[in-house]
Amino acid sequence: MARIVGTLRFLRALVAMNLRASLALRGAFWLQAAFMVLNNLVFFATWWLLFARYPEIGGWRLHDVLTLFGVVASGFGASAVFAGGVRDLARSIGEGELDSLLVQPKPVLLHAVASRTLASGWGDLATGVGMLWIAGALAPGMLGWTALAVATSGTVFTASGVIVQSLAFWIDGMETLARQIWEFTLTFSLYPRPLFTGEIAFLLYTLLPAGFVGFLPAELVRAPSVPLALAALAASLGWTLLALFVFGRGLRRYASGNRILP
Amino acid sequence: MSGARLAVSTQKYLAIARASARRAFAERAVLAGRVVFLGVILFIFSRIWETVLARGALTVSGAGKAELIWYLAVTEWCVLSVPPVFLAIESDVRSGDIACRLVRPVSYVGAQLAEALGETALRLLVLGPTGAAIAFALAGGWPADPWGLLLAAPLGALASALAVLSTAAIGLSAFWIVDTSPIYWIWQKLAFVLGGLLLPLELYPDWLRALARFSPFPAMLWGPGRMAFGFAPGAALETLLELLAWSALVAAGLAWLANRARLRLTVNGG
Repeated sequence: MARIVGTLRFLRALVAMNLRASLALRGAFWLQAAFMVLNNLVFFATWWLLFARYPEIGGWRLHDVLTLFGVVASGFGASAVFAGGVRDLARSIGEGELDSLLVQPKPVLLHAVASRTLASGWGDLATGVGMLWIAGALAPGMLGWTALAVATSGTVFTASGVIVQSLAFWIDGMETLARQIWEFTLTFSLYPRPLFTGEIAFLLYTLLPAGFVGFLPAELVRAPSVPLALAALAASLGWTLLALFVFGRGLRRYASGNRILP
Repeated sequence: MSGARLAVSTQKYLAIARASARRAFAERAVLAGRVVFLGVILFIFSRIWETVLARGALTVSGAGKAELIWYLAVTEWCVLSVPPVFLAIESDVRSGDIACRLVRPVSYVGAQLAEALGETALRLLVLGPTGAAIAFALAGGWPADPWGLLLAAPLGALASALAVLSTAAIGLSAFWIVDTSPIYWIWQKLAFVLGGLLLPLELYPDWLRALARFSPFPAMLWGPGRMAFGFAPGAALETLLELLAWSALVAAGLAWLANRARLRLTVNGG
């Protein structure tokens, strides 16, 4: 128990330090965050245009896509803010950058992913929260369900990132491929679930967990229920455990980069 | 500049472009990723059009699912063929490497453009046939009038070149701001929306379509893309002229920015 509390304190310190580091470059921080909001809104305009012409796609309306986009943007933003190191994990493994973390007393994975933050993530988070507010998902009776949906979305997204990036322990030069596989998960999670059937739907709940990043959490906000909440929680727990397992197995194979880092 | 010097200068940039294309060809994982991404987007939108059109919804000037998929294949081909030249320039400015590169007997911006255009040419050659094969499979064949695709090919190549010029200008903004990515995001998303990357401009409300025509983006994406709706030499010529005009304008802006950047570097040091 004391170990868990200690780890949580360490995580809190990392997050606080990252935030201070981001705000040290105040201009760049606000520029990145604000432009990301603008970027997301311009991107969402495509949906607005499509639904203005065709009010329903597979039973989904603009409001449903707004909810989906809000959940995914919030989850993705939280992942970028609190676990920004996932994006470069494969490179860190390949270049032996884990050396300095291995000699420290805190969990290597936690240190590697939480010691970096992306300022643009705040822009994603702000966009997502704004969209959820417009969609009515932040009403008092909904807040708990929405928070759970966002938390599970961000957790599965982060965990899936750790899994694909950890393949660098076994395969050289995984950086680009890992990032692309991860981005496919994000891409699929931003489109209405009814578009995907058969084997593709299966793929989106397994290899590319877009179903657990987007569809399931969004469904939890659209029609909250205890079974859906339990399913989302189980998914995030399952993916987290799988990520810990894969990273742990990979770490046993880790060969030092033999680099002296500044 | 004499003819001989021009020929030597051109050869230098062509050599850079060739080397860049060879390097890009060696990075198979990146190329494969682009092809798969193109396939994923085409697949998703083939599903969207299938779902929408199954309800008997109105389409664009009689174009059906096949034409809309081919439209997207062309627009995505133009977009995915453009390498992130702005990141290369930003990296040189941030690290200070630009000071070393400026002493070489080639223009810095010219060399960056040659590198980017070499990579763009390679990507166009790889993504073109593979994208066409994917579009053919998803659309169940060619568009009703496939001859327009012959016009889309040169227009797409020119559109990608315009995108390279524009993103190089964004990269030069690194002389004034720390991070150029936010500017790129906005440029890219404006290109997507105002250019009609995913949806043809015919589906837009009139006011937005009119607004879009004041930007270079319709010429970059909608212009080549609409060739999938049929053989239209008049429209192709209009797009060609627009692309040439915008390319000249952006190239002039790029030269001006490069000059300002060089002055700033001289004053502040590398």
